[in-house]
Amino acid sequence: MIEFDRVSLALGSFRLNDVSLRIGKGDYYFIVGPSGAGKTVLLEAIAGLHRPESGRVLLRGEEITALPPEMRKVALVYQDYSLFPNMRVIENVSYGLRVQGMRKKEARAEVAPLLERFGIAHLANRYPGTLSGGEQQRVALARAVAVKPDILLLDEPLSALDPVTQEKFIADLKRLHREDGLTVVQVSHSRREAHLLATWMAVIIDGALVDEGEAGVVLNAPRSREVASFVGVENILDGTVTANEDGLATVDVGGLVFEAVTDAAAGEEVTLCIRADDVVLAVGNDRRTSARNRMSRTVVSVAENGPVAEVRVDAGVMLTAVLTRRSVQELGLVPGASVTLSVKATAIHVIHSSS
Amino acid sequence: MHNQYNTITKMKTETLSTEPLPAGEEANVTRWNEYRGRYLDWCIVGFCIMGAAIVGITVLAIANITMTELADPAHLLKVAASSEVIGSILLTFGAGASAVILLILFGTPLAYVLARARPSRLKGAVESIVDIPLILPHTVAGLLVYLLFMRRGWLGAPLSEIGLAFEDALPGTIIAMLFVASPFYVNSMREGFEKVPVHLENVARTLGAGTFTAFWTVTLPLSLRHMYSGAILAWGRAIGEFAGVIMIAYYPFIISTLIYYSFTTDGIHTSRSIAFTVILVSFGVFYLLRRMTRYLGRYDDRV
Repeated sequence: MIEFDRVSLALGSFRLNDVSLRIGKGDYYFIVGPSGAGKTVLLEAIAGLHRPESGRVLLRGEEITALPPEMRKVALVYQDYSLFPNMRVIENVSYGLRVQGMRKKEARAEVAPLLERFGIAHLANRYPGTLSGGEQQRVALARAVAVKPDILLLDEPLSALDPVTQEKFIADLKRLHREDGLTVVQVSHSRREAHLLATWMAVIIDGALVDEGEAGVVLNAPRSREVASFVGVENILDGTVTANEDGLATVDVGGLVFEAVTDAAAGEEVTLCIRADDVVLAVGNDRRTSARNRMSRTVVSVAENGPVAEVRVDAGVMLTAVLTRRSVQELGLVPGASVTLSVKATAIHVIHSSS
Repeated sequence: MHNQYNTITKMKTETLSTEPLPAGEEANVTRWNEYRGRYLDWCIVGFCIMGAAIVGITVLAIANITMTELADPAHLLKVAASSEVIGSILLTFGAGASAVILLILFGTPLAYVLARARPSRLKGAVESIVDIPLILPHTVAGLLVYLLFMRRGWLGAPLSEIGLAFEDALPGTIIAMLFVASPFYVNSMREGFEKVPVHLENVARTLGAGTFTAFWTVTLPLSLRHMYSGAILAWGRAIGEFAGVIMIAYYPFIISTLIYYSFTTDGIHTSRSIAFTVILVSFGVFYLLRRMTRYLGRYDDRV
């Protein structure tokens, strides 16, 4: 739907370098990266608020690099909501239709169902200054959706909300994407939001796009060590391939040996990514399993977090496993306990260090 | 302010007292406040005495003229009701208002551009140029305006061709007032625009508003209070101008010129009565204008 072709632009201390990306129709596209990476600038560039210094922006194959924001049908919701403080809620929501030439009465009638849908109808005559954060957020979203945009741009929409409101809002966003078929681009630094919502993902670090692809792939099989640590892969291990037999490689990680599926040749430096979910712990008699990587070690710490617990095991390098709390209780896992740790060779994502 | 002062006083008496006050006992607080004199802060007292010298001059001056004028109300009324004085006051206020209207028309766009432009050498230069009338002696400002707008001046010559004369004419008064008052309006307006987050304009634009529509529907309404206070400042500066105006337009008499003229010809008696009339009218008008500010641009606080 919208495409960036080697776009560069500088804005104060921010810089986007040679960013190429493609947002498809119906995608829920996440742009993630650490703060200060230039995510918001990228979002504003999609909206047409910054003119690139070089590169092209395409919309449905047509070049729109110089098209002003009001012609793009791309609505933007900022982190701070940016409601117009001089207008009532109803005026805020109908603003887009009004400036596009619709009469006041028609515009109000048009947005009435939206107010109902977002649960803000009772606030219609209030000024934004008197609303709570969650209410303001819903007004901002309704205002953006009211103009029926082709693309909805969201700048960290959840970061200023309390956890309960966040859950509600995530449900709202899912509905907008699935039921209304809206293309959504969301900037975020939360991996959790990406897990819950994203279909596609781009990782941007220091103004450069370092990874792009299907959300599941980026999250579980990141392209570089940097991306892996950013998307929160719990176990990232550097090692050397010692042998490779038909794609099953043996990797030496500081004396610890892992088997992993990769085309990396012997002698190559690689980084192994293992999600904590894929690390299985067992206690007692060794049972035969298909997992290629197994080792008996000692539990270092157990940190409970809601229904799950994070167990850290010293295996020469520190490895993290995520288990249900019930498993932790049944296995009697406490610091000092001996466990057998296993990881399937296919659960290890291998990154070539050169890339 | 007043509340804050009370709290501080209470706190102070509490810390200094050997027997701390039981919290919430109003009677005790009052009793302690009666002893406040013991704990006079001599630094603040000294500052107040020195400050009183400044306030005192204004108070004494106004008291002085009030007493003398009220001693002869018949003369005061006669002068105040004379068509010359009324006409001059109306002329001055009207010319000032015209200058302000021109400033709003042309100064507002300038202020917006200055508020939104990224820092650059050009922006710095324009800002300095805007401030020039502030630092010039008024006679110099008046002379600059005169030289530019006189019948043989760069702008005066072509404009007199189309019948617009500035020398000793109302347009000259207005243009001189506009020149000296412009920094007050432009700077106040720019400050107002700077306070409106760019995000609001960005959102308006993605919703389909062009740059001007976004400015007109979002930025300007949110800066109304600054526009208003800038206009009042500029107007006050404009109607008070004397030296700048007489360089180009000695006639028609604005109020300052009239007072000066009657001071040098009729002497102190008449000029004092005119001055007192002006004081009363100015106070009245500025009081009204300030009152009106409260009801304008009430969203400013929420930006």
